[in-house]
Amino acid sequence: MVRNIVVLGGNSHPALVDSVCNALSLPPCNRILTKFSSGESRCEIQDSVRGKDVYIIQTGFAGNGSRLNDHFMDLCIMISACKTGSARRVTAVLPLFPYSRQPDLPYNKAGAPLFKAGSDSGKKDYTFESVPATPAPGVPRSVGLTNGTDITGKLFKASLTNGNGAQSPIKQPNGDGYFPGNGVNGVPNTSPVGPLGAYTTHDYENLSHVGAFQAKPGYKQWVAQAGTLVANLLNCAGADHVITMDLHDPQVQGFFDVPVDNLYGRPLLKRYIQQHIPNYKDAVIISPDAGGAKRATAIADSMGVDFALIHKERRPTKITDRQNASMMLVGNVQDRICILIDDLLDTGNTITRAAKLCKKEGATKIYALLTHGVFSGDAINRVQASAIDKVVVTNSVPQDKHKAALGSKLDVLDISPIFAEAIRRVHHGESISVLFNHD
Amino acid sequence: MSAEMANEIKLISGRSHPELSDKIAKRLGIEVARTISLNYSNQETSFTVGESVRDEDVFIVQSTATGDVNEGLMELLIMISACRTASARRITAVIPNFPYARQDKKDKSRAPISARLVANMLQTAGANHIVTVDLHASQIQGFFSVPVDNLYAEPSFLRYIRENFNSEDCVIVSPDAGGAKRATSIADHLNTAFALIHKERPRPNVVGRMVLVGNVEDKVAILVDDMADTCGTLVKAAAVLKENGAKSVLALVTHGILSGNAIETLNGSVLSALVVTNTVPLGDKVQRCPKLRVIDISPTIAEAIRRTHNGESVSYLFTHAPV
Repeated sequence: MVRNIVVLGGNSHPALVDSVCNALSLPPCNRILTKFSSGESRCEIQDSVRGKDVYIIQTGFAGNGSRLNDHFMDLCIMISACKTGSARRVTAVLPLFPYSRQPDLPYNKAGAPLFKAGSDSGKKDYTFESVPATPAPGVPRSVGLTNGTDITGKLFKASLTNGNGAQSPIKQPNGDGYFPGNGVNGVPNTSPVGPLGAYTTHDYENLSHVGAFQAKPGYKQWVAQAGTLVANLLNCAGADHVITMDLHDPQVQGFFDVPVDNLYGRPLLKRYIQQHIPNYKDAVIISPDAGGAKRATAIADSMGVDFALIHKERRPTKITDRQNASMMLVGNVQDRICILIDDLLDTGNTITRAAKLCKKEGATKIYALLTHGVFSGDAINRVQASAIDKVVVTNSVPQDKHKAALGSKLDVLDISPIFAEAIRRVHHGESISVLFNHD
Repeated sequence: MSAEMANEIKLISGRSHPELSDKIAKRLGIEVARTISLNYSNQETSFTVGESVRDEDVFIVQSTATGDVNEGLMELLIMISACRTASARRITAVIPNFPYARQDKKDKSRAPISARLVANMLQTAGANHIVTVDLHASQIQGFFSVPVDNLYAEPSFLRYIRENFNSEDCVIVSPDAGGAKRATSIADHLNTAFALIHKERPRPNVVGRMVLVGNVEDKVAILVDDMADTCGTLVKAAAVLKENGAKSVLALVTHGILSGNAIETLNGSVLSALVVTNTVPLGDKVQRCPKLRVIDISPTIAEAIRRTHNGESVSYLFTHAPV
């Protein structure tokens, strides 16, 4: 029994709240957390928090009838309510940090980076000036041009054609004279299935809403990064401390003015490999993209296992017969077990494509180990149909539905002991660094 | 070149109420800026900016759609933050229906003051100025350390009453003690009688017993309030007025949130009409409820934006509604 501590759960992951409370042998704080009929969150904390050390558990996952932003607002309101209720310290526990992974490139219909080729192609005769041409009386439309040719019209067509493929919701003009043909960079687009080079890690919820959005001619559209904002909002709500796990970008820690404890799921994954994968010493640990290389090498090194890496080629390629033309495997996996390691499974695109590539390169069996299994959009079907033999995720987000859909293909590791221990140690002012490297 | 181009009004519209944004843009004679908000499949909001806002005077119009309050609020915060990142000169959040305005005090132990939280969040995201309409409690302005222009629907309501009724036949009624000030102001302007309904409210969204203070016999009773949510209060008040001899009862409400079974409640009520402004997107509610009439508030908001941009006084709008 830990004293003077209150564990308050949001609606996003009640099971985790219960098991953390069990591990700490204390009851979760009584609260009402629903919505008014107008859609505003209603929060009432029924137990006293005066002078207490409050831990609010809310993961960045949509479910239980609420949307992701509802959960996040609920969290901010709970933090603020505890603060106004004279809590001594409020710690936000976010097993999966929302908005931690956002693409920095604009969408196309499949959510893929779109503009790369468009701007490259235009580079020869086009420069960006600090103020793009805003249509106004007496201002020529092509202020940004240096050679007097008006290519703005062509440029925005180029941005539409690139990587957009046959499923483009936008009617494409035929033979615009800039890219011959009607396909990706002059390659006739005959494939009825998704775009080839347009490889995406993010899908959109309502594609129909995308419509015919176009940036102003000459302006390179960009997507807002909400990571800093989310950190600032938690600060402003009154969080004194944040505990999270396997942040996609460790730099997010620096967005906060308060201490952030970034726990690792790595020891859990490592233990799983040692206990459940036969002959793991002969396996190859693979990072499905260059960004996760550090994460994967850390595990590979500590176990003395070989390492390989998949390199994502984002430039449009001219190869159309192989789906994985845009991915390259660096390393050898012939006749070996592959263990793919990453931090997050969202749409499942990265991991399933990596698995396909590994299979093609001769891997015998493929495991995918990820800290956070979000499985959004079509991810379940994608994983089900993929070359992956086993997916292993932690319960940083609720996994019941995913487990029901994927059955024995999915193994779930329990992170509640790690979080319970972190909460206990933070409360008692003990070091938690031992949690970073225990086996 | 840039000197004369920069610092124009940039009107950015969120997803919650594009019709209102379009009307404001039309009124101002400008186009809504090219931006798009979407949700990823993991339900995170993404906001794409398709034109420069550098050194511009940005106005972000985002109301709160009934049922989608948090979604709209988060989208607004992301839009504000994006514009700040993109070096906008000034960012004004135009929030016709301020979210969480009713959670403005610590009315019981550990109750969140969510309105203050929203105010802090807007400032944290980078809003330099707030424009809103008929704040539930004008004290909410005090939660901000940036200027808040609280516009009134009252001039529009006055015009509506003058155009449709003979003010001598009318009684302005406040459905609760909290709205008495709002109602008396209208009654004073019209030089009509005033009445008040006292109510007990045991729980949120539930209405208790009601007592009428004043005389409404053989008069057109006009209920005035700032928001109609489930409409329980309004409908009960209308029944009380009818019992006390009112010739007919209608209601003038700024924010038609109309959540839950509001439409069914209204259709089955003695109210002859519910007049709301279009601060909140109404969707198909106008079709579903023949009693619902809508006053367009966009001229007032557009004029406020124009005056704010040009550094003119906005106070004229507190007493006059642009046509």
